Amino acid sequence: MEKGSKNRTPEQPRVKGRPAVSKVVVVTSGKGGVGKTTTSANVATGIAMTGKKTVAIDFDVGLRNLDLVMGCERRVVYDFVNVIRGEAKLNTALIRDKRIDTLHVLPASQTRDKDALDTDGVGRVIAELKEMGFEYIICDSPAGIERGAQMAMYFADEAIVVTNPEVSSVRDSDRVLGLLAAKTSRAQEGAQPIHPHLLLTRYSPAMVKRGEMLSVSDVLELLGIPLLGVIPESKAVLQSSNKGAPAILDETTDVAQAYLDTVSRFLGEERQHRFIEEERRGFFGRLFG
Amino acid sequence: MLHPAPEAKESRSASKRAVAFDLKGTMAPLTVLRLRATDVGLVERQLRVKIAQLPQLFIDAPVLLDLGALGDAAAALPFAELVHMLKLCKLVPVAVSNVPDALRSAAVAAGLGVLQPQVAPRPERGEVGGAGPAAVAEPPAPPAPRAEPERQAAAPAPAAHAGPVVVKQPVRGGQVVYAQNNDLVVLAPVNPGAQVIADGHVHIYAPLRGRAVAGASGLLGARIFCQKLEAELVAIAGAYATPDEIPADRRGKPAQIYLDGGEVRIVGL
Repeated sequence: MEKGSKNRTPEQPRVKGRPAVSKVVVVTSGKGGVGKTTTSANVATGIAMTGKKTVAIDFDVGLRNLDLVMGCERRVVYDFVNVIRGEAKLNTALIRDKRIDTLHVLPASQTRDKDALDTDGVGRVIAELKEMGFEYIICDSPAGIERGAQMAMYFADEAIVVTNPEVSSVRDSDRVLGLLAAKTSRAQEGAQPIHPHLLLTRYSPAMVKRGEMLSVSDVLELLGIPLLGVIPESKAVLQSSNKGAPAILDETTDVAQAYLDTVSRFLGEERQHRFIEEERRGFFGRLFG
Repeated sequence: MLHPAPEAKESRSASKRAVAFDLKGTMAPLTVLRLRATDVGLVERQLRVKIAQLPQLFIDAPVLLDLGALGDAAAALPFAELVHMLKLCKLVPVAVSNVPDALRSAAVAAGLGVLQPQVAPRPERGEVGGAGPAAVAEPPAPPAPRAEPERQAAAPAPAAHAGPVVVKQPVRGGQVVYAQNNDLVVLAPVNPGAQVIADGHVHIYAPLRGRAVAGASGLLGARIFCQKLEAELVAIAGAYATPDEIPADRRGKPAQIYLDGGEVRIVGL
């Protein structure tokens, strides 16, 4: 996908104050409950595991839970809104992950609402994160298409559109793709459009087979963007959220495997899609996208 | 279209630099004073009785004078005196209708606008042209269209051989594309919840899953062409068909939609 990231060694751009080639990635969907926060946590963790300095920002001001899913909620002192308002230094608000030292979280405020976010403030924070040498800035969008969601996508270079295989989620994703093409910095400045990637989550091949769920090709036909990955429906997601440890850390689960594949593809590797067919022997199924 | 030449020219140039204002045809409620006598004193006496009964209805109310009932007697009407009397009654006479040509200048001299004879209103539009390229015609459908914050590019000002508006990107849910005074060609899918509108024809060389409106300003000969008909709504010059009205054997297939004696026809390509 992205040629630049492939050739770079992980250590190279971590010189402080020297802006690396940073990528701002928004994880968005329109609809709620499809797995944005889970995906943000897992993708950020997965990228950081490759040694790239990564930060996940929770844009869901007022309903923060990225810190919970990433298991750092007890270490939250200052938050994103504090930084925007100049009440705290970015460095103090950032929480470094205890398991992976290239991984950081910028939590959302629980006591404010989305009006606390403004383009200037968000832009300043993202610019400062780039200055600090973060290679990947993952913006976890709130549900909906209002201010919070628009702020999360505004500065994005790439977008991971999280979609469940059902009609309303697909429609909402379509709506969000329209916003990505119109209401972002890249769109408004006439720069190269944002790269959208489709991540199909909570996928159940058995239900697809019974005709109870849209298939991968149904979703692709409507949305018409490249498929980044398919994450199977699994209890492991719930368990990992409750534990505060992203599923990708436990490589024995199919969800972890699916997210590892997803991250590798996102970083430019080619991997065949899995978890699309019901039978395990159909593991290396059709290649989409 | 049937306006005398000078007026047509004026409205054209107004629409070219239409940033300072919108021109809108409106159906604002207006009190009509339909005169049956030319004796201003008589009118005044009866009017004051009415006003005393319902003052809140009349104070500062704009009034349209209708001379249609007077016939030839209208020639005897003292305009200036009538207008003066109405103003004393705290009414605001704004215009006059059904005025004989001979009295036109007298009415204008008395400060009244002259209302043109009624033209049959077009059924499908509340807004009439001139509002610049971002103007989006509301489709005629009964369900209110979804909010469409990110309107896409529209037609340039009408010019000879401007060519149709061509859209290459998918038109996604919530997006509206309007080709003003022009045809629209879409080379990518029109998804559910999206609207594509043209004053001329609409061509979609991909699936049509959203709404398509051709002849949005009333062009009866406008047509919609699409490669795969899965529309939520198709409309031509105000007549429309919902998915239930699309014949089952046309769904999912290449189709053209046109108007035949006021009826929407959907046929294969």
